[in-house]
Amino acid sequence: MQWWQILILTIYAGYEILDELQIYSSLSSPVAAGLISGIVMGDVKTGLFIGGSMQLTVLGVGTFGGASRIDATTGTILATAFASSIGMKPELAISTLAVPVASLMVQLDVLARFANTYFAHRIDKNIENFDYKAIERNFLMGAGPWALSRAIPVFLALAFGGNLVKTVVDWLNTDVKWLADGLSVAGAALPAVGFAILLRYLPVKQHFPYLILGFILTTLLSTVFTNVQTLGTGLAAADKKFAGTFNSLPMLAIALIGLALALISYSQHRSGGGSKPSSSSSNSNTVDDSNEEEIEDDEL
Amino acid sequence: MTNYKLTDADFKQINKRSLFGFQLGWNYERMQGSGYLYTILPQLRKIYGDGTPELKEMMKTHTQFFNTSNFFNTIITGIDLAIEEKDGIAGKDAVSGIKAGLMGPFAAIGDSIFASLVPAIFGALAATMARNNNPVGIFIWIIAQILIMVFRWVQLKFAYKQGVELVTTMQDQLNAITDAASLLGVFMVGAMVASMINIKIAYTPNIGGVATSIQNILDTILPGLVPAALVGFVYWILGKKGMTSTKAIWLVLILCVVLSALGIIGKAH
Repeated sequence: MQWWQILILTIYAGYEILDELQIYSSLSSPVAAGLISGIVMGDVKTGLFIGGSMQLTVLGVGTFGGASRIDATTGTILATAFASSIGMKPELAISTLAVPVASLMVQLDVLARFANTYFAHRIDKNIENFDYKAIERNFLMGAGPWALSRAIPVFLALAFGGNLVKTVVDWLNTDVKWLADGLSVAGAALPAVGFAILLRYLPVKQHFPYLILGFILTTLLSTVFTNVQTLGTGLAAADKKFAGTFNSLPMLAIALIGLALALISYSQHRSGGGSKPSSSSSNSNTVDDSNEEEIEDDEL
Repeated sequence: MTNYKLTDADFKQINKRSLFGFQLGWNYERMQGSGYLYTILPQLRKIYGDGTPELKEMMKTHTQFFNTSNFFNTIITGIDLAIEEKDGIAGKDAVSGIKAGLMGPFAAIGDSIFASLVPAIFGALAATMARNNNPVGIFIWIIAQILIMVFRWVQLKFAYKQGVELVTTMQDQLNAITDAASLLGVFMVGAMVASMINIKIAYTPNIGGVATSIQNILDTILPGLVPAALVGFVYWILGKKGMTSTKAIWLVLILCVVLSALGIIGKAH
């Protein structure tokens, strides 16, 4: 591998996450990463194949509420680079490099999101001092942890070769498997903190019935959808004539139920306000009160 | 208060900052909090004046926890600025309420459309073509994303105009809207708790020589009990004195590694 190939791929790895966070031009997608890595490595066919395969692997995996997700883009960059430089078969590069790297990279994504907490606290101090330039600087510096969280591992892996990548991946998957497993469990559980913080902000006491509704509807429907999927897959495997497609629970549908409830509450609130202004104003007071209360709670 | 009125140059600046800088400061504690402040900081300075206590108060308000779809964030910004431009610091509670109430619904809609549906459709197209050694699908996807950027650019002014109308002619409806939006927010948190925390009890003790799945027993009571209990637990510890969200994150992280190493909990999917 040439030094300029390592350089370009490292810069691209740092850029792709910033692109995804900001303009989202889709240059951060695994399939685009395959094309770009393929051009850099002089093997577009391999790049497109690995990128396309990884794209299909993560199809429908969206970023929700700031949860970390499998980083198929970085996986594609490394798999393409090693497949074309070492002469690995693309299929082998996908299973031994792209997928393990993609799932390991979740930890570095978590790290970058952690690191930026530091800058958020610096901004708090800057606000006290009315230091506008520093507020903007400390905000923009957040780009550092983001870009480095992708660029450093890609650089190290490309510069020190596939053996290191394999050694680290193997080490995490064998000797300290408990740690890798635990971290991925933590990754799956961390959104809970975000939701709990959100609940401290929203007037949850006032709208508690809707919290229950949202939870129960989703948990029951997703159980049904998952079970039907499992059943369908099993039947399709047992009987070749059985055909049918089964999707997972569409969250937009749940959101629309919530929207309907909100619209009902809105029209009731409004008509109630028109005929009985006194009850409406006392009603809205409680809204404001509980809002304030929740926010103060969180500042503790 | 300087009675400043936003101009097209302001909208352009906000849009530029939003499109190229909204999520750079994303962190676990406040998520897009500092990004929200960054996008409107020049306008806040114009509305409240440099060095005023009002400006400090509002800067603090706008660095608080905020997280929504980065495809819809300027809608909330537009409504927010319409209120602040008119009411100034007096609109603080309305602004906080609208931000907290609207971010959840917009996050849900934005994530399902722009972070899930669009990448799924164009990704499938591009990937299928790429595996046949054809990069055209990738360029089709890029064109689609450019159209989406245009959409992101125009929504700010639209929301601002609606926001002005909201605060001038529909002042009394504002409470109803805030209330309905926060209802939707609470509902969606319930839905997200049920769908996005993928952990389960992995512990299967031998009872009378039979491996018993604790998770199965819990599922017969109610699916999703583990995520609900976890959120309830974090909600509870966040109310404790001296507890910050960063501490809560570390606690959850360590707890998960330990419980997972002991074989008590595991990933659900």
